[in-house]
Amino acid sequence: MNSSRSLRRVAAAFSVLALTITGCADREPEAKAGSGSGFPITVTTPTGDKLTLDRKPEKIVSLSPTATEVLYAVGAGKQVVAVDDQSNYPEDAPRTKLSGLTPSPEKISDYTPDLVVAADDVNNLSAALDKVGIKMLVLPAAKTLDDAYRQFELVGKVTGHADEGKDLAKRVEDEITKIVKDTPKPDKPLTYFHELDETLYTATSETFIGQVYGLFDLRNIADGKDPSAHGGYPQLSAEKIIEADPDLIFLADTICCGQSAETVRKRPGWDTLTAVKNNHVFEMDDNIASRWSPRVVDLVRTVADAVEKVEGAG
Amino acid sequence: MVSPAVELRTVRAGYRDRLVLDGVSLTVSAGEWLAVIGPNGAGKSTLVKAVLGLTRLGGEVLLDGRDRRTLSAREAARIIGYAPQQPALPGGLTVTDYVLLGRTPHLGLLARESSADENVVADVLRRLDLDQLAARRISTLSGGERQRAVLARALAQQAEVLVLDEPTTGLDLGHAQALLALVDRLRREDGTTVISTLHDLTLAGQYADRVLLLDGGEMVAAGPPAEVLTPERVARYYDADVDVVTVGGRQVVVPVRSDAS
Amino acid sequence: MRTQPVTRLRARTLVGGIVVLLATMLVAVLIGAAELGWQRVLAEIWAQLTGGMSPLSEREAAILWQLRVPRVMLAGAVGAALASSGAAFQGVFRNPLADPFLLGAAAGAGMAATIVVVFAPALTAWAGSTLPVAAFAGAVGGVALSWLLSTSYGSVSPTTLLLAGVAVSAFLTAVQTFVQQLNADTIRQVYGWMLGGLAITGWTDFVRVIPYIAAAAVVLLVCARLLDVLALGDAEASSLGIRPGRLRLLLISAASLATAAAVSVSGLIGFVGIIVPHFIRLTVGASYRVIVPLSLLGGASFLIVADQIARTAMPGELPIGVVTAFAGAPFFIIVLRRNAEKLW
Repeated sequence: MNSSRSLRRVAAAFSVLALTITGCADREPEAKAGSGSGFPITVTTPTGDKLTLDRKPEKIVSLSPTATEVLYAVGAGKQVVAVDDQSNYPEDAPRTKLSGLTPSPEKISDYTPDLVVAADDVNNLSAALDKVGIKMLVLPAAKTLDDAYRQFELVGKVTGHADEGKDLAKRVEDEITKIVKDTPKPDKPLTYFHELDETLYTATSETFIGQVYGLFDLRNIADGKDPSAHGGYPQLSAEKIIEADPDLIFLADTICCGQSAETVRKRPGWDTLTAVKNNHVFEMDDNIASRWSPRVVDLVRTVADAVEKVEGAG
Repeated sequence: MVSPAVELRTVRAGYRDRLVLDGVSLTVSAGEWLAVIGPNGAGKSTLVKAVLGLTRLGGEVLLDGRDRRTLSAREAARIIGYAPQQPALPGGLTVTDYVLLGRTPHLGLLARESSADENVVADVLRRLDLDQLAARRISTLSGGERQRAVLARALAQQAEVLVLDEPTTGLDLGHAQALLALVDRLRREDGTTVISTLHDLTLAGQYADRVLLLDGGEMVAAGPPAEVLTPERVARYYDADVDVVTVGGRQVVVPVRSDAS
Repeated sequence: MRTQPVTRLRARTLVGGIVVLLATMLVAVLIGAAELGWQRVLAEIWAQLTGGMSPLSEREAAILWQLRVPRVMLAGAVGAALASSGAAFQGVFRNPLADPFLLGAAAGAGMAATIVVVFAPALTAWAGSTLPVAAFAGAVGGVALSWLLSTSYGSVSPTTLLLAGVAVSAFLTAVQTFVQQLNADTIRQVYGWMLGGLAITGWTDFVRVIPYIAAAAVVLLVCARLLDVLALGDAEASSLGIRPGRLRLLLISAASLATAAAVSVSGLIGFVGIIVPHFIRLTVGASYRVIVPLSLLGGASFLIVADQIARTAMPGELPIGVVTAFAGAPFFIIVLRRNAEKLW
């Protein structure tokens, strides 16, 4: 063997190795610099405003139970210092007595947050926080599933977890698509009644939850001539519900108002309903049914199971 | 001996925070007209209220010889009728309805007014010249007519004793005279005992059998008008200058302007 | 005499009132949120009376007999209770603006309802008795508190009672608002209840409240004449053999009991207690002998009609308090324009 040739080979191998090592070594700080240089960012919020954040927020206060869920789902949980009194998921979120419905700017600024997330700008909270230099992001109730996905991405972006945000949105969307595809479609669309509380307030198809049901081509008995009347949340009379005799009944008031298939059966006249007779009264978790977080997948699954059950029953 | 219609024995009466009458004793015989007079604040209204059982009481008030406290509200109401100084007249009621209220002491809790009750009312309305106004609402009556309606209600009670607190309030001279003459005629016809407070001394003197002069919660004089209504007394207790003349056998109290020349 | 000067409840008027009530009940049963068809409902009623075949399906029969009919009956009972209580309160306080909620019944019920909704939400389940019972207790408690407060100042005159009622109402309302603010997520639930409604009712509610309302009605009817005497003021009433303090206690107790029962199932429905007695006063006569019985009948009819509007005018349910308020505003304007003396 020619020694100069093996020497050249070793040198080449060394240099390749050296290059690789330095290349890798370079890339890591580069990657860090990459996420660090994700900030400052400017985003357009769902309300149309522009929000600029100079650096990655490390002390986030969430006044919206849905936002809390999304924050943790995109991996920003460690950056959250306080969540409102209604944020009960995930369980280890730092729940406080802060109120999202009647927020107190002073109490909020006690936590010296660098970002406040809320579902609504109650009492001009954003202006009050702005005075003390705290930025607020308003993530209002989603009207469509797309709105929800966009919010996942946005939360990811503003917390420095842009990729996770995108992933989350895609994952949820894909899962929902899959569930819908796997659920057999009835020949005739099924009708349903979604109960919000025991005084028979309901949500029409022109609402977020109504859209979820719409994925399965379910028809809402509360739609009537104008589904957007009453803002999408009318109160029905018991007479109308019994007359309409929905195929499925969903109870979103199991927690707030103690409703269950049993209590429904006991209501005067309700035992004549097909859904009651065939045990097609399905209980939902109030919170999951009223939020637009990644757990909407659970919601979709509940509806899918219900449809399957009814379909299976013939 | 017939017990007096009304008797007060060392009555001390007043209100929560002050005592007004301090030890008044008097008797009123059946069929008598007693006029209670006195300066402002002497206790005339309080005396009336004491007789009606409307104030706190020390001493005794006897009606027909029986202690008032032993009588039920209804029994007492059948003995004493009351026409107040400022009556509450529900304007929407008809005169007949209003006068019919006077029959309450004679009705049981569940009883409705019978035709006998309605007859009493009709009779009273006639005597007081109110029968033409029987179906009219009280709000449409004149002042004089209203006073008569109040009197009618008290009369409908058919009580032996009639207590009138300033019955001529707001009435002009003619109406005042007419009302008192009416009361006098009625009491002679029915034998009713009348106790009235009157601030007009002349009218008191002209109609009453006896006059009771109160001052500072005490009885300072009682007797026939001629005895009680003297210029000295009036001057002393009313702090007023008067002359008392006799007209038609009755006292007339005439105010005198002292600085007139 | 051509005209009968004594204001009596004439048979003619009484029968007229009953006929009106039955007519409104019938119409209310025939027409509702569900389209059963009035001819079929008539046929059904006839079938039930004669033992014939029911033309309705099981569900339709349930709608009619388990939802609509009890709701109409309850509307009538609540209307009768509120109107007659209003008449009684107007007589006791000698005030044309007195209503059954004057002595803290509404504030007490509202506070009790709030407390139950906030601290024991799972118990407010349908056909669960916690909320109605609490509202009932709260209403009675509010009135009792007003009474106790006024007795601590000596004799219970209408004025001291009124002032005590205002104080108690203000206090209880403040407590309610305070609790609500701390639990803002329950606002919609409580507010919905307070606006008043008969939407979630059945035969159990009717059976539960009718004893109180019936008992109170009997008391008020018997004392109707005495209300006229009470209008003369305490001094004159005493001279006529009445014990005004005792009578007031009896009347307020009966009226408040009926009001509490009504509020426990229907929430706070305003204006009924003021409008109906006044209407009777203006059209028939100013004596309570007439006003009390006709308020019972008229109040029932009025609320049955109002409830029918509340459940059929729009696709969803209208709060019944809104309907009575819509009737109340023009009513007061009309009253203003008429001869005020006729009122009182």
